[in-house]
Amino acid sequence: MINKESTAGRAVRITFLTGWLIVTVFPLYWITITSLKSPGTIFSPSIAYWPEHFSLANYTGLFSKAQFGVYLTNSLVIATVAGAVATVISLLSAYVLARFEFRSKTALLMAALVTQMIPSFIALGPLYMLMTELQLVDNRLGLTLVYIAVCIPFCTVMLRGFFENVPDALEEAAMIDGCSRLGALFRVLLPVMQPGIIAAFIFNFVNCWNELFLSVTLMNSDANKTVPTALNGFISSFNIDWGSMSAAAVLTIAPTMVLFAFASRYIVQGLTSGAVKG
Amino acid sequence: MLSRRKAAVALGLATALTVSGCAVGGGSGASDGTVTLHMVESLTNPVRTAVLKTLIGQFEKQNPKIKVDLISPPTEQADQKIQQMLQSGSGIDTMEVRDITAGPWSTNGWIYDMSKDLKGWSGWDALTDNAVKYSKDAKGRTYYIPYGFYGLSLYYRTDLVSDAGFSAPPASWDDLLKQATAIQDPDKRRYGYAFRGGTNANSNAVAVIEAYVADKIDRDNGFKLTDGKTIFSAPEALTALETYFKLFKKASPPSSVAWGYPEMVEGFSNGSTAFLLQDPEVIATVGESKSITKKQWTTAPLLTGPSGKAVQPVATAGWGIASASKHKAEAEKLIKFLSEGDAATTFDKKNSLVPILKSSADDTFYKTGAWASYVTMTESPDTYITVTQPRNSSWWTEWIQKSDSEIQKVLLGKMTPKELLAGWNTYWTEKWKSQ
Amino acid sequence: MNPSTTDAKARQAAPPPTDNPGPAAARPAAPRPRRPVFTGRRGLSIAAFMAPAALFVAIFVYYPMIAGGQMAFRNWNLNDLTDTSWVGLKNFKGILDDPVFYTVLGNTAVWVVGSIVPQFVIGFAIALWLRRRFRFRGLYQALIFFPWAISGFLIGILFRWMFNSEFGVVNDLLEKAHLIDTPIPWLADPKTAMTAVVIANIWYGVTFFTIMILAALQSIPDEIYEAAALDGAGKVRTLFQITIPSIRGTLALTVLLRVIWIFNFPDIIFGMTGGGPSNETHIVTTWMISITQQGDYGKASAVGLIVVAMLMVFSVFYLTATRERNGKTS
Repeated sequence: MINKESTAGRAVRITFLTGWLIVTVFPLYWITITSLKSPGTIFSPSIAYWPEHFSLANYTGLFSKAQFGVYLTNSLVIATVAGAVATVISLLSAYVLARFEFRSKTALLMAALVTQMIPSFIALGPLYMLMTELQLVDNRLGLTLVYIAVCIPFCTVMLRGFFENVPDALEEAAMIDGCSRLGALFRVLLPVMQPGIIAAFIFNFVNCWNELFLSVTLMNSDANKTVPTALNGFISSFNIDWGSMSAAAVLTIAPTMVLFAFASRYIVQGLTSGAVKG
Repeated sequence: MLSRRKAAVALGLATALTVSGCAVGGGSGASDGTVTLHMVESLTNPVRTAVLKTLIGQFEKQNPKIKVDLISPPTEQADQKIQQMLQSGSGIDTMEVRDITAGPWSTNGWIYDMSKDLKGWSGWDALTDNAVKYSKDAKGRTYYIPYGFYGLSLYYRTDLVSDAGFSAPPASWDDLLKQATAIQDPDKRRYGYAFRGGTNANSNAVAVIEAYVADKIDRDNGFKLTDGKTIFSAPEALTALETYFKLFKKASPPSSVAWGYPEMVEGFSNGSTAFLLQDPEVIATVGESKSITKKQWTTAPLLTGPSGKAVQPVATAGWGIASASKHKAEAEKLIKFLSEGDAATTFDKKNSLVPILKSSADDTFYKTGAWASYVTMTESPDTYITVTQPRNSSWWTEWIQKSDSEIQKVLLGKMTPKELLAGWNTYWTEKWKSQ
Repeated sequence: MNPSTTDAKARQAAPPPTDNPGPAAARPAAPRPRRPVFTGRRGLSIAAFMAPAALFVAIFVYYPMIAGGQMAFRNWNLNDLTDTSWVGLKNFKGILDDPVFYTVLGNTAVWVVGSIVPQFVIGFAIALWLRRRFRFRGLYQALIFFPWAISGFLIGILFRWMFNSEFGVVNDLLEKAHLIDTPIPWLADPKTAMTAVVIANIWYGVTFFTIMILAALQSIPDEIYEAAALDGAGKVRTLFQITIPSIRGTLALTVLLRVIWIFNFPDIIFGMTGGGPSNETHIVTTWMISITQQGDYGKASAVGLIVVAMLMVFSVFYLTATRERNGKTS
């Protein structure tokens, strides 16, 4: 057990944690409140912290003006598929990088790290040309493939860490019992690493869900747009429609919030790989 | 088990590659002879996109063999996106070409010169002189047909102006400074002028300078004086900027250092600022405001300089065709449709643009309400001089970023107006020399 | 295209492992002993496992980046592509001669250090306190993790709205608390604009540190703390002599990754200020975006390569320094 804390220590802890909670939650509260104010009352000299009248006008406007449902579906499908495929592919590469020793290993790990250093803006033009050649511009499969590729390097590094936390002995035992290497991977390692795999998937999902620049570059038609692109569109040349934008923001945040509510346990647990300690 | 897994991975990749590889050559032509045109707009906004879709619907009804697929990227990224599409040479047939993009895009051979095809077009006669003039570049090539014109007028709050004891809206920049200062009251979150300090700050700063040198400006190049020097070298330019920056210090919201188009329009439509210098398209936006009613605002003509004259910097955009398009004839049909008759009138009215058709001069729509000031301006071309800006220069985007950033420096007290003008003078003199 | 040719290609696309399939015995000793059950098919299985990842990354990440990178050595301006000849280091020279570059470098330093230090300190503190069980800890964790789930661009928009000088809630709260008399034009004043974007970034990034550090803390066995308590070690001593040394590896890696990401993270600034006022919040990557908007892809690519070079140099120094102090990697 951790040693007992003094009353003063406890006060500091509670104050700090509560303070940070307020700081963290306030912007979310504020965007929600803004989205629920009726258009026109957003710009009043005295700011209302709790509107007198709640209005769903911004939300109904969103679904009538723009095909927000379509954008949400696109984002959900693309982020889920890309996140899952990237996790599976990364599992394979991470496994090799964790369990084998070979000469080009450091180079491969460096290559993964370098992808994180290059500003993606450098690549947008050539990527567009490439996708045109492949007939994958304005295509959900195309964006999914790119997202998979973008997720792989970090996901591999992350999963490699989890593999390394799992003792070799587990696998060896399985292999002595007659499992093939792959059998050992699937039957012994993966179940143990489940929280880590979930954490990796969530990480991928969130990254794809939030991605803006690639999506703007590669998607053209309304039917293929993702949520961040649509959100960016609200900053039209005409006016910053704070009401609609707040509503769109709330709708964008909501799915990831739900995901987090379910999964925050796994994130920490997964990263700790606590499952193997027992 | 290993080989089975390997096969699965290989199969997956093969599928991915097949999907990507086999679609080649599909093109946009279908077997029944229907042609799909990909049309991309640049100055996108929801109202405009809706109007365009209606017009496209009418066009498709008239031409059942042509389908038009309208692509509306977010405005901020639109021109970059169009560039990418043009460069890749696929997925784009017709698009919005702006006066500032026509130059670079034609230089790169991305857009198609329609002049030969449009030689016998019946629509030419119906276009205003300005529309005809802007549809041709210096060498007589037609890269786009303008859909309308942008020009500045002063939006003002009638109630605030009369409450402050003024009987008429400001006519000159000096008047504006006086009235805006009187109205400014930061404690009530009320400000005089919606200053443009952010993106495209240069446009309004140049408009002031041009008004002050109106008597000796070169009408074919708004940055030049008749004696060949730049407008920034004139002593009046300094007086102009001093007045203009006073307007910021005494009568504008402090945050307007960073205001671009959306913030300015928002600042006026949410009722916090009394004056706004903007294009006519804003009439529609402000009209939809829920904070100020239609009775509370209208427009006045562009502000004049000491000589009583104002200079109207003209900006425009229109529809053009991609060089790589395989359906130029159909694209031309669409452009003709949009540039004639009802379609042209509807587009200009709904987006409140200065119209391209002569017939609009008789239209009562353009004589009433907020539009009245535009009529005043067109009726007295000697007071409100229209001047072509060097917006087709290949360094225009570089100039915008340079000048915008320097205006902010002056606003933040890191540069004097004198230094600013000296720099701009050198910049343009050298660019013209190297041309 | 049939599966077998793709398979062959896939193997070719991952040359590093296939090129060195040498027998296991000939390899230098690994840091910790590995299973000696490698067969002749070892190289093949390494290649097969690496192939999908390598293929994806090579096609969709490396190819476009290299193709984009070569523009740095060419006269590549979208305003005039009639002459795209190779110009050697001209673009790099242009950047070094541009005074804005040095402003931007300074801003980037403030942005990175100003963001990462508070993120680290707050994140560490929360992680330490979250180690202790309390009621609603799960809920608390879920709530404070949520900034991480929001896109940088959206955070930019969110904070731009809150920092709005006329209708923003930040000014209103400060006025209600009588800390200020007149509203502060947060994003328009160079003195406050950087502070505002850094605040937004801190808000966003604390979570990442909390998650990583909390995970590392939970992997420290309780017995070590019990032993320390028996020895009569105080709180501070426990922190510096047990906690920090135990998770040094994670801390080092987390800080490195964060530095790279924050350096390369234009989204928040892009959404909040676009780099203004007067370049005062431009960091290297947002500046690069603004250069592409001018059409000068040659110069923008050169900026990109400078970023990569700086981060590589930093990573090498950093890794060397932390490795030496750690003695071993964790």
